[in-house]
Amino acid sequence: MLENVFFGSKKEQRVIEKIKKHIEILYGAEECFKKTIEERDKEQLYCVSDLEREADSIRREIVSMIYEGAFLPYLRSNLCRFVEIVEEAFDLLKEAASKFEYIGQGLDKEIEEDCIKIADINLKMTEMLLIAFETLFGKGDLREKTLAIRIYEKQVDEIKFDLIKKLSDKEVKNFWHGKMLSDFVDFLSRISNVIEDASDYLHIINISLR
Amino acid sequence: MNVVEIMTKKLETIEADAPIYDAIEKMIDRRIRSLLVKPKDDKDVHGVITVRDVVTKALAKNLDLNKTKVSEITSKPLVCVDKSMDIEYTINLMSKFNITRVFVNDGKEIIGIISLLDVMSAELIKRAREGHRA
Repeated sequence: MLENVFFGSKKEQRVIEKIKKHIEILYGAEECFKKTIEERDKEQLYCVSDLEREADSIRREIVSMIYEGAFLPYLRSNLCRFVEIVEEAFDLLKEAASKFEYIGQGLDKEIEEDCIKIADINLKMTEMLLIAFETLFGKGDLREKTLAIRIYEKQVDEIKFDLIKKLSDKEVKNFWHGKMLSDFVDFLSRISNVIEDASDYLHIINISLR
Repeated sequence: MNVVEIMTKKLETIEADAPIYDAIEKMIDRRIRSLLVKPKDDKDVHGVITVRDVVTKALAKNLDLNKTKVSEITSKPLVCVDKSMDIEYTINLMSKFNITRVFVNDGKEIIGIISLLDVMSAELIKRAREGHRA
């Protein structure tokens, strides 16, 4: 009964499905980006910008649908904020991809391994974010999903700590290469922070549903 | 879940003849709580030195950290699990020996380490994923 009041009508269901799709596209873009780093194939990078554009249009649809009357007014801003945070993850991924396009082959094996690990954890975090979102409007304990996301985020933090140390030990021969490499690592490792922020918003939405 | 999936592959090592101070520096710099101690020779085996060893066996006894060798406070032999084992086995082993970390071996080679925190994190993630997509 309560489910119907909050998110049971057609409008709400359409928004929920669109938000799921939005997260799934982020997953797809991250998967493609991870593969690009693994295979050192810059030609595959187009998928990130393609998927980002697709996600951007879905985000606009979601926000429009919400303000056309889906969900109770007090839930709308938090849901929109959640979608915007997911969009921020796309922005970071796109930035990381553009830096990778520049450094490409010039990535050290040791640094590349850590970057792949981070890309893999980002992927798992996004999958968990989708599971958490489904839990919010379905059955299950949201708390354990957001905890899993926080665990993943700590793992990224640990790798980032090592990575920065490795980077600081490297001699910078060319200013722009050094800057691009530093930016690449920064953007790649910030994605996990943003996904964690998104999961925090799910927690806020969950509380407001009580 | 297999131990290989959750182990930390990066093993920080130290020579058995190194002073304890070197081990402390390494643990602080790398933000880790243990170091794998390399065997002295072919007849020797790997050992482990932990923060607990440093505190209880060196600092508490006021040993000279620059003169005392790592080998003097190293715990041996290592408690290891084979790379084919699962997490449940590892949990039982940790519980049985009351230890907070085990090493993962592939034959004679040590290939990783698993801490209690790794096990807890893996179990929580597994629970969060239960009933959802793979």
